[in-house]
Amino acid sequence: MQVPSAQATAASSLLALEEVSCRFGGLLALDRVSLQVQPGEIFGLIGPNGAGKTTLFNLISGVGRPTAGSIRWSDGAINGLPPDRINRLGIGRTFQNLHLFQRLSCLENVLIGLHHSARAPLLPALLGRRSFRQSQGELRQRALELLELVDLADTARQPAGSLPYGSQRRLEIARALATAPRLLLLDEPAAGMNPIEKEELSALIRRLRSRFDLTVLVIEHHVPLMMSLCDRLAVLNFGRRIALGTPESVRHDPAVIEAYLGVSA
Amino acid sequence: MSDLSLLVQMGFGALLALSVYLPLRCGQLSLATPGFYVIGGYVAALLSTSWSALSGDGAGYPLTSLALELVVAALVAAAVALVLGRPVLQLRGIYLAIATIALVEILRVLNLNLAWSGGAVGIFGIPQPFAGPGGYALATWVLLALVCWLCARLEDMRLGRAMAAIRDDELAARCMGIPSADVKLTAFVISAVIAALTGVLAAHFLNTWNARQGGFDASITTLAFVVFGGSRIWLGPVLGGLVITALPELLRPVGDLRLILFGLVILLGPILFPQGLITPERLARLQQTL
Repeated sequence: MQVPSAQATAASSLLALEEVSCRFGGLLALDRVSLQVQPGEIFGLIGPNGAGKTTLFNLISGVGRPTAGSIRWSDGAINGLPPDRINRLGIGRTFQNLHLFQRLSCLENVLIGLHHSARAPLLPALLGRRSFRQSQGELRQRALELLELVDLADTARQPAGSLPYGSQRRLEIARALATAPRLLLLDEPAAGMNPIEKEELSALIRRLRSRFDLTVLVIEHHVPLMMSLCDRLAVLNFGRRIALGTPESVRHDPAVIEAYLGVSA
Repeated sequence: MSDLSLLVQMGFGALLALSVYLPLRCGQLSLATPGFYVIGGYVAALLSTSWSALSGDGAGYPLTSLALELVVAALVAAAVALVLGRPVLQLRGIYLAIATIALVEILRVLNLNLAWSGGAVGIFGIPQPFAGPGGYALATWVLLALVCWLCARLEDMRLGRAMAAIRDDELAARCMGIPSADVKLTAFVISAVIAALTGVLAAHFLNTWNARQGGFDASITTLAFVVFGGSRIWLGPVLGGLVITALPELLRPVGDLRLILFGLVILLGPILFPQGLITPERLARLQQTL
């Protein structure tokens, strides 16, 4: 896979944020943030707590709307669109604080992600005809394959809420993949995982990218993981983008060091 | 009351319970069911008493006319639900419940005061398509079977899964591409149609129709069906509707105690079975033991 250069241009980008701001009352959660994500790259978003990372995800996925600025996807503005429309345009996401359908089984969680692949003629569905049962069987097969991909095939029948934390995070990824996204937003996918799981997750994300031709935008606190995983990184602090570039350049950026470690007197 | 008449009423109870259950299945506490039930009843009462062409040659009210009423009532209820559903379903939780109670009350007051609905007296002498309660029982239970079958099929279909998703976590459902507003509206419309169809049968069965058929009391009663029976799988509301409708009659032999016993059942049901009598887990366990 071709890794895009650090100085990518807006013209070729898949997702472009232009001067995006988001204000909650007196709090400016995002302050004129601009960045472009290129097709096929793994783009990381890091920053201290409260820097506005999740807010940025919410704006991209339509959960919130920016107070100023524009979000462009492929070649159209998507700010202000509802989340279901944005998902159908090809943007899938996971949640930092896990939003699984707790009482439903893992398989059902993924089947719900396959909603738009599950369209079936009404009458055969109501009558439970063979054509419908066949299409449902194929759907289940696809869901199982996705579960297998994240190593959850064995727990397909268990309620999502009963899984251990790390498995729930992987189930969220499978469910998001079921919606056939071109861009996958991962909000702290490694939170609560042990070091071995974190390594496996990193490999999983790379595997998924090549298998599904994905572009990945990932938020994560674990900086070493991000340094090795991401092609490019943006650093947010107090709602501002303070750095952008390759892991190597970001690591040595004085503004980043200051944000993470504080200024020396 | 004859046994067959009781069967008819139990069927009505189960149907109305399913009408409350469908919006609940996608997390929407709508208490509009009695309103659509009343609309269905008025459609039947008005058509059959004021349009003489429907009455046929005099040897009993023709079943084709009844079928026509069912179609018209379904269409009217669906149209009303479509128009009201969009704005009303933007409300969440208890606010939706309050708005739908208001809807039922508005309908009741309108029907009480408008000339064409017969005012407080209502509409009398609704013709009988069936000679006795046996025919009504058959018609009601056929309708009930159809609605049960629809609800059972829903479990297998993507609409049913989308409804379950919205109930569990609407935000996540929307982020997975599910147009939650459309799904909720669909459930609301189907719910309205079921209630209206029940109203048509009820108007003929009762021979008379008036504004008192639906009101706040009816909203609470139909909700009690679902709370008692369970709202997670269609069998729950059916059982709740059947049992709670039948209970006052079945308890008749104990005399004055029956209201106390009935109250106790309503009270203890949710305490002992907070999720209702029937839950998917309990059903699965039952299947295993059988």
